[in-house]
Amino acid sequence: MFRLAVKSVKHNPKRLVLTAVAVALGVALASATFTLTNALSGGFHQLFDEIYAGTDVIVEPAPTETEDDGDQFAAPDAVFTHADLAAVQAVDGVENAVGTIQVMGSVLPKDFEPTGDLMAAGGAPSQLFNWAGDPKLDQATLVEGSGPEADGQIVLDLDGAPRLGYEIGDMVSIATDTGVTELELVGLVRFGETNSLQGATLGYMTEADAATLAGSEDYQTISVVTADGVDKDQVASAISEVIPEGTRAITGEAKAAEQAEQLDDILQYVDIFAIAFALIALFVGSYIIVNTFRIIVTQRTREFGLLRAIGVSGRQLRTMILLEALVIAVVASTVGILLGYLGALGLSALVEALSGNIFGTVTLPWDALLWGYSLGALVTLVAALMPAIHASTISPMEALRESATESKKPLRMRNIVGGALTLLGVLAIVVGLYMDVAKPYVFVGAGAMVLVIGVTLLAAQVLVPLAYGLKAFLTRVFRVDGKLAANNIRREPRRSANTAAALMIGVMLLALVSTFTESLKSVVTDQFATSEADFFVLSTQGAIPPGAIDLLGSEDGVDFVTSTGVDQATYDGLGYSVASIDPATADLAYDYPNDPDFDGMDGGVFIDPVIQELGVEVGDQVALEGAEGSATLTVTGLYEREGDANFWVDEATGAELFGDYDILQAMVVLDDGVDPAAAEEQLTSALAEDFPLVVLSSPDQLAQFANQFIDLLLGVISAMLGAALIIAVLGVANTLLLSVTERTREIGLLRAVGVRRRSVRRMIRIESLVMAIFGTILGMILGVGLGVALVKALAEFGFTSVAIPWAWLGIYMVLAIIAGVVAAMSPARRAAKLDILQAIAFDG
Amino acid sequence: MTTTVTLAASMRGGTKDYGTGDAAVRALDGIDVDIAAAEFTAIMGPSGSGKSTLLHTLAGLDCLTAGDSWIGEQQISSLSEDKITQVRRDKIGFVFQAFNLIPSLSAKENITLPLDISGRDVDPAWFDEIIGILGLADRLTHLPAELSGGQQQRVAVARALVARPELIFADEPSGNLDSRSGAELLGFMRRAVKEFGQTIAMVTHDPSAASYSDRVLFLADGRIVDEMREPTADRVLDRMKQMGH
Ligand SMILES: Nc1ncnc2c1ncn2[C@@H]1O[C@H](COP(=O)(O)OP(=O)(O)OP(=O)(O)O)[C@@H](O)[C@H]1O
Ligand SMILES: [Mg+2]
Repeated sequence: MFRLAVKSVKHNPKRLVLTAVAVALGVALASATFTLTNALSGGFHQLFDEIYAGTDVIVEPAPTETEDDGDQFAAPDAVFTHADLAAVQAVDGVENAVGTIQVMGSVLPKDFEPTGDLMAAGGAPSQLFNWAGDPKLDQATLVEGSGPEADGQIVLDLDGAPRLGYEIGDMVSIATDTGVTELELVGLVRFGETNSLQGATLGYMTEADAATLAGSEDYQTISVVTADGVDKDQVASAISEVIPEGTRAITGEAKAAEQAEQLDDILQYVDIFAIAFALIALFVGSYIIVNTFRIIVTQRTREFGLLRAIGVSGRQLRTMILLEALVIAVVASTVGILLGYLGALGLSALVEALSGNIFGTVTLPWDALLWGYSLGALVTLVAALMPAIHASTISPMEALRESATESKKPLRMRNIVGGALTLLGVLAIVVGLYMDVAKPYVFVGAGAMVLVIGVTLLAAQVLVPLAYGLKAFLTRVFRVDGKLAANNIRREPRRSANTAAALMIGVMLLALVSTFTESLKSVVTDQFATSEADFFVLSTQGAIPPGAIDLLGSEDGVDFVTSTGVDQATYDGLGYSVASIDPATADLAYDYPNDPDFDGMDGGVFIDPVIQELGVEVGDQVALEGAEGSATLTVTGLYEREGDANFWVDEATGAELFGDYDILQAMVVLDDGVDPAAAEEQLTSALAEDFPLVVLSSPDQLAQFANQFIDLLLGVISAMLGAALIIAVLGVANTLLLSVTERTREIGLLRAVGVRRRSVRRMIRIESLVMAIFGTILGMILGVGLGVALVKALAEFGFTSVAIPWAWLGIYMVLAIIAGVVAAMSPARRAAKLDILQAIAFDG
Repeated sequence: MTTTVTLAASMRGGTKDYGTGDAAVRALDGIDVDIAAAEFTAIMGPSGSGKSTLLHTLAGLDCLTAGDSWIGEQQISSLSEDKITQVRRDKIGFVFQAFNLIPSLSAKENITLPLDISGRDVDPAWFDEIIGILGLADRLTHLPAELSGGQQQRVAVARALVARPELIFADEPSGNLDSRSGAELLGFMRRAVKEFGQTIAMVTHDPSAASYSDRVLFLADGRIVDEMREPTADRVLDRMKQMGH
């Protein structure tokens, strides 16, 4: 059987090429992502290994459960005093121990001019430390000039300095919380062996300078070099005895592994994300596979009948077709995996050229092979199953029939199943969106899948009357070509529906995402429009320095500045976010969804829907525990939007819980009658000297920026869906190619009775357009419908209005028409080229 | 006749209806027929008389509406689809009028297909003998599309013979061939019966084709109306004329 399957694939590979391409594209998507995340992981593993290479033991604050470990570059709080360092140095087996001060700051490019442009002021973070002078502990080797031996000096890494425009002898500007400091560049260092810093800038200064800039003489970590021959783990546990509570000693190796593991956890989400999109692409691809195998089974009905006649059992026939599918799956997956690998190589080379080497060696990881082959094989086999079962029921008598056409089964069964699935899908989505179920996304996801299949089945029924209806129209416009095209669509409603459905899914997802993002944009725009604030204050690097807030508040023309800090506190054993605001001014600057106004807070706390659902009510007492202290507060009001912060307290309570908490956002309200444009210039230049990284942005600008970001998101998702859409268009071409082959005799006959080549081509093109437009319209209806349902379900998160992305829908329609024409090109050419005599003599 | 003939296939009260209601057609109308082993039986009759239907139901390709049929000792009208397939695989060979070969397999692969399917080995001597007689030796690696109609039919006959089935059914095997190739083919089939004791049942329209057989059955309106032993082309033609053919 296997030989027969291989023979048959080899005998007529053309009809399987597009099917294989569809599978390969989906697999390539997964393979490329796996390769990239693997390389990225490798790069970071290498980085972490190098960071901790010279350090035998690290003494650092112990990680807490609620701590947000997303930011690998943030400096931890300084907790080790000089006395702690001395205690560590005194531990047996410690050869050398050095305290590290990391400065929260940013090396500004040479001649930096603050522009207020959020994008331009960003960039890779800076890592600034005190210089130990020991290459093992610094993990950096001096390659040029000298180390920072005297106060007022700095060294930078050999890539960072030229990138920012500095040469040895220049004064380097460093922006911190408290202002801009200038240090003289005296040398260049190389980090580890290859200076692979993932784009960050590295700098070292004297301990005194570092302490001044950091605002504390305490150390964040202590790096320990152990004496030769001692057990590092033992030294680590000995050190644990002498360090303050809440801190720990861990070997460098363990620390590197821990960090790498955290990063791998994040990368795993990227992989899952990619698998999701690969699955979408392959799901679309599966429609093509179903169609291809259906058509092939139809075309080979006589061949299968013959095999049955000479003693092949139905089961063997089924196995044979599934084997054929497997052969295609293996070939296509191999191509896809290689394609993905090459794509990843290209992409990493591109990234390296643009922004430095952040990838380790790009190799093809096992996951890529594993997922590639299993996704490819699974989808192909599942899709080929129905046609294979159909083939196994072919009776031997079919071999003796004259022509091979799909039997004219009525669509009733299909409609019943389709209707049931559609209902089921809608039901699951409604349950997921509106009922309180544990995992709503599972319901919505599964529901959407079932709905799509249901609609695909029903679409065959819709197509029949549509084709009848179009027939009159097409006949009037295109005469015979139009009539024949309409007939063909009606003749194979299943096939046409499946083909259109592949496109439908792609368009549906696009329409869904664009409905969602369009609504998000309108919500964001609305929110900023209702704001009373004249400017939003943002920092491009970390928190907003309190000095900047004070400075803005003291400027002429400024009525007041209100700021918001967000921190984590423990309530009832779990971590929650707490926003600290000024109740007197917050409501004047921004239209918060609170009840009553914040000035009714009265030293108490407002709670958001999440906390309300825990059963907490106005008048109750809640006990919050922050990093610096705890407070028991009376609930005095409600905050009615989910997702901003769980608890809202005033500044005094915030200070009590968190000490000097970080300010993440601030708003400036100007005096009446002050011209905002003039004020912006005045305030920006006031900030420029000491706080160059703090930017002002009007609500309009911010809305625009947010909208740009949302558009970017839409762009990324659309690009990821691109593979699915390409596959869908291939699907249209594939179906047409196969049906041209199937209709070879008929087309020959048409040509024989005088139909011109041009007409044949047009007939195919009309068929293609009808399927493409039909699929696109269905997809839009479904996508917008699901998008609206989703937005409504997210009302709690502040989605107050639904916006339909008309402009995008128009663009999708134009693209669909183009796709229809493109997909018809090759089949139309093939049909028109057919030699009349050969076509008539053509056998199966 | 004194010796009891071994029966290769038989049918009792075979009835076959197609369609229902107004469109109902009775293709076989209570037929009793015996196909003797090691004999060349021809089935003749006007178009639409039920010849193909008789062949198909005898071979288990199609099932009877009523009545029973046997292949050898095995009653097949009561067997499951899977069992019938197995009987076909092990005991029966086919030659159709057209479309006999799998397009993706070479001539040789088509010939050995029944053996490959049932996992039996090819007997090289027998294979070579058949190929030699049928003159296919230099065409074995060709695909069906690269063979002439006559060559394709000969490949089909070779395929039917190579597995040494108990019984070969052929439906107008020479229908598509010119008279010389047709004669060669029929001559070979006759040799297979005479020299190797092969049993063959063949449907044909052509009186001269029928003359290669040992016995001719005449069908009309789904019934067997006559039988002729040791036929010649002329006698068959006469009989056909009587039937209004
Ligand atoms: N699948 C079918 N459905 C309906 N009627 C059928 C079918 N197959 C055959 N018939 C009818 O059964 C009768 C016998 O058909 P059969 O094919 O056996 O005739 P035949 O003797 O082989 O004719 P011919 O010499 O033309 O091949 C005919 O009237 C035919 O129309
Ligand atoms: Mg017939």
